[in-house]
Amino acid sequence: MDSQATIPSATVILPYVLRAKAGNHKSIMVAGSTIREIIDALDHDFPGLQFNLCYETGELRPFVNIFLDRENIRYLQGLETPVQMGATIHILQSVAGGCPDTLTAPAEPLRRKL
Amino acid sequence: MSQQKAYSPGTVLVLVGTKRGLFLLTSRDRETWEVETTALKGRRIFFATLDQREGQRLYAAENGDFFGTFLRYSDDFGQTWHEPEVGIQFPEGGQQKLENIWTIVPGHPNEAGTIYAGIDPASLWVSTDSGVHWEINPGLANHPTRDRWEPGAGGLCLHTIVADSSNASRMWVGISAVGCMRTDDGGQNWVFANKNTRADFLPEKYPEFGQCIHRFVQHPTKTDVLYQQNHCGIYKSMNAGDDWIDIQHNLPSDFGFPIALDAHNPDTVYVIVEDQDGRNNVNEQFTVYRTVNGGEEWQSLTEGLPAGPGVRLGVLRHGMCTDTLDPCGVYVGTNTGQLFATNNRGDSWRLIADFLPPIYSVTATVLV
Repeated sequence: MDSQATIPSATVILPYVLRAKAGNHKSIMVAGSTIREIIDALDHDFPGLQFNLCYETGELRPFVNIFLDRENIRYLQGLETPVQMGATIHILQSVAGGCPDTLTAPAEPLRRKL
Repeated sequence: MSQQKAYSPGTVLVLVGTKRGLFLLTSRDRETWEVETTALKGRRIFFATLDQREGQRLYAAENGDFFGTFLRYSDDFGQTWHEPEVGIQFPEGGQQKLENIWTIVPGHPNEAGTIYAGIDPASLWVSTDSGVHWEINPGLANHPTRDRWEPGAGGLCLHTIVADSSNASRMWVGISAVGCMRTDDGGQNWVFANKNTRADFLPEKYPEFGQCIHRFVQHPTKTDVLYQQNHCGIYKSMNAGDDWIDIQHNLPSDFGFPIALDAHNPDTVYVIVEDQDGRNNVNEQFTVYRTVNGGEEWQSLTEGLPAGPGVRLGVLRHGMCTDTLDPCGVYVGTNTGQLFATNNRGDSWRLIADFLPPIYSVTATVLV
């Protein structure tokens, strides 16, 4: 039995800013049983792409959203969410406007004093 | 290294890292300036620098809002950018993750290709092939006190690197809120260099480490002399950081972020102290402060700088720099997008760019 045949394939829709890193493809067919396997496969084909999506620790970056057939995987099983054959996976950046400066500013605030 | 875009030798290039993009300002006479964008439009650029030891390679620290943090380099003044083959990343599956890249510093003049980067979480990274491959400095990463280092609100960031211009084995780094550290053996071992610098926010006011250092610079000829802007004071060291002397004197605040030095008159130092609560000018006059005698007294430089009840300008730690010309040029970028410059050591100032995104860093280079 061909083990490849048992691994579902999904269509991954990439955000504009990541397409240059993925051969300028808007969408890619990728095989994987879970979202994490999908990301691993993406990184195999396009080295470095995983780092755009996940920290070195393996956790998904906070402002990266992955939707499996329109469901945000954060509300499913995260990166371990199973992927069904023919699924569509959207990778999107969060709507992060209004984020407090304390999350992003490189100034040296008073945290030590608080 | 390919070169598609070129500027005349002698051109002053000011790299301006902002919350939304990297900008280039160029001038032949430091009177008229041209402002250009780069391909890093909209990107969050903490820092950028130009290395001219071998060609002209521009490095930028892009701390992305969404898809990660990357050091990038460009050989055509920012028109196209490359990622390292082995970038600044911790091992996969480990406990540490790259938060932000804070500074990028070329190494010694006789070590072309060696370049350093400081990041959050506090660590020093080294490339010996002009940024293509990077590795962590294990001596600092495995320092025996490492598990007791505490972050400032900006993170546990290594934001300042001074590679000793006279001794390739000696280097200092600044970490918030750990303090100044020095190696004398090429990065194998690191010692704290914080004696007599305050940590007003800790029970122990003069700890061995835990100070919130903000920035420091090295005297170009008396290489044991360092000047430091700290969260709690302005200091000078005469002995490579073994101890420090408080040189606040007549400055109206002990709090500020940037510090810079006149390469041709290295007893001339510039700081911008701020109101600690507002993190902007102390009174209604935006002011750069200058000492011409190594910190014995400070002059208020205000000619051409704005004043008024609505003037509240802040300058971040990498928001001020000098060029290497004589008379010295000084460049000050605010966190509200104004860029001021002087071509006469600070005697008078001009606004050379406005309406930029919040400015994180400025670096000036005289092109060869």
